[in-house]
Amino acid sequence: MTKSSLGKVDGREIKKFLLSKSVLIVLILFAAVMGFIYPEFLSFSNISNMLQDISMYGVAACGMTILIIGGDFDLSASSQYAWAMILCISMTSIVGPVAAMLITLISGIVLGIVNGLLVAKVNLNSFTATLGTQLVIRGLCLAYTGGQMINTQNETFTAIGNYKLLGFSSLTYVYFITIVVVSFVLYKTRFGRNLYAVGGNAQVAKFAGINTSLTKIAGFACMGLLCAIAGLMFVAQMRAGSVLYGTDLTMSCVAATVIGGTSLSGGSGNVVRTLIGMILINVLYKALIFLGLSSYLQDMTKGIVVILVVVFDYFTSSIGRRTKSVTV
Amino acid sequence: MKSDMEKGVKKGLPGGVDFGAVLRTYGIVIGLMIIIVAAAVLEPTFLTKNNVLNILRNMIVTGLSALSMTYVFMLGMMDLSVGSIISLSGVVCVTLANKFVQTDAQDANTYPIILVAVLLGAVMGAVNGSIITLIKGRLGASFIITYGTQIVFSAIAMLYTGGNFIFGSYYKGTYAAFGKGLLPIWLFLVIAAMMQFILKSTKYGKSISFIGANRDCAYMSGLNVGKYIIITFIVSGICSALSGFYVTARIGSATPIQGNGYELNAIAACVVGGTSMQGGTGSVINTVIGVLVLTVLNNALNVLGIDSNSQLLFRGVIIILSVTLDMFNKKYAVKKG
Repeated sequence: MTKSSLGKVDGREIKKFLLSKSVLIVLILFAAVMGFIYPEFLSFSNISNMLQDISMYGVAACGMTILIIGGDFDLSASSQYAWAMILCISMTSIVGPVAAMLITLISGIVLGIVNGLLVAKVNLNSFTATLGTQLVIRGLCLAYTGGQMINTQNETFTAIGNYKLLGFSSLTYVYFITIVVVSFVLYKTRFGRNLYAVGGNAQVAKFAGINTSLTKIAGFACMGLLCAIAGLMFVAQMRAGSVLYGTDLTMSCVAATVIGGTSLSGGSGNVVRTLIGMILINVLYKALIFLGLSSYLQDMTKGIVVILVVVFDYFTSSIGRRTKSVTV
Repeated sequence: MKSDMEKGVKKGLPGGVDFGAVLRTYGIVIGLMIIIVAAAVLEPTFLTKNNVLNILRNMIVTGLSALSMTYVFMLGMMDLSVGSIISLSGVVCVTLANKFVQTDAQDANTYPIILVAVLLGAVMGAVNGSIITLIKGRLGASFIITYGTQIVFSAIAMLYTGGNFIFGSYYKGTYAAFGKGLLPIWLFLVIAAMMQFILKSTKYGKSISFIGANRDCAYMSGLNVGKYIIITFIVSGICSALSGFYVTARIGSATPIQGNGYELNAIAACVVGGTSMQGGTGSVINTVIGVLVLTVLNNALNVLGIDSNSQLLFRGVIIILSVTLDMFNKKYAVKKG
């Protein structure tokens, strides 16, 4: 029985399966080769460090994935990230750490809703709207701090940032909990399913009775909340905040999402793919450091990988997915 | 698509007499006037000849890239690699000038250097355009591909200079003249006029506007879509490379990061000028006005002594306001049409 069913599996099916997991396969092969050359590359401490490194950007990348699935985009992510750090630190000295964190989370949701209103209600292109809010939020942060770094010595943040369980940092756990929660929201809730529909074809979704503007606003609110959480994680680890931190956050998140295989045209993708994309970028970086390449070459490799992945994705999508009727 | 065309026709008509229509059509020009008058009243030095010339010369750096960004927008695409092309072309120009333009006798070597910059920009633009055409990409693909090439080009500029600042050792003659006086302003206006003419009155201009409005339709009508995309990105590369040359002519030195962020300035200028990101519509003249608004605002805030931190805020607000205005324009046009 098993033999005959195995015999029926044609090459095309296997190819399709392999291509759908191509990024994961590349990651595993790459890590195996690096581990073979440098055994310490696969050591527990290196892995747990790496997971801690990617956790802050990773949480923001979850938000970016939500938005990209919904067919939108947020350029203001790095500004929101800096805003969260600065607000949290300055509030801590006034109302204490717990209240400060709550205020930061709420402000994150509010910023997200403002972006969402501009996109869904004023009907602006998400790129232009968030280009504007990016400058406004950054301007507010700069005007408040005068461009200086601010810091806090509060023990609560030290305790959270230094907490370790089973050798993994608390930040890693926050990242994994975020992935589980966001995956649940995307797959099991009405909002999540609506988001895929809106990203796939907003017009059709509207005719099907989905409140598209509410879905978009909720997507932006999630993004704002997750950026605020990422900012709080940074504060917990570094106990400092400045607009200069995380300026590459937006594009790193987009890169991780795209490398993971979420299509920029919206309507498909998930956060686990983004996690794999995030890990792949980081493993690549670490590998280039191990190989002793200059930081410029590391940057260049990152750019080339982004381009190659998009090109590769195009050529494999004709096998992995249905092709569109007109391919111009 | 029909409504789009109607909108275009509506926009082309004379404004009419009612105040609302004037405000909708010339809102951005009125905004520019308000900024100028307010700055001139608050600070008389704002309208001195030197400052005005300064504004115009400052405008060119973003302006050149914004002109070609309008073309890219018309296609319904985006070019994020503009800033890196400015940096790379700048460092190459200064290095070449340090080698070949060292005495008055070598003054004429400036022109080959400009040619090298143009070629370099064309090659980088061709790389962008070819990859995007290869994967039959649209807005999303153009975004991520040019983000990738942005990183690569900027890394090349870094490797080329070792991350160092390059000082132009001989900063006189023709090379410096391109950054001084009225010459660059005239050249910029000529280029802008040329690009407006190409956009409105040639087959190429009509074609990219068609592709931006409805790519499938353009393809089925027999247009070579890929060719036009590649040409447009080459134009974008050339304009940005010229902008890189101009920066070095103006300040006499180059750094591998001097172009960082210019892609967003160029995009902001197009957006403020009212070119839509959906593609198909746009005008170079509007973009020039958009660049002017952003540069004048920047200069006015500087002259008024407002610190650079708060300036970002104003810029963001201007961008949001102008796109919102544009959106209401379109809604109104649809309602009326």
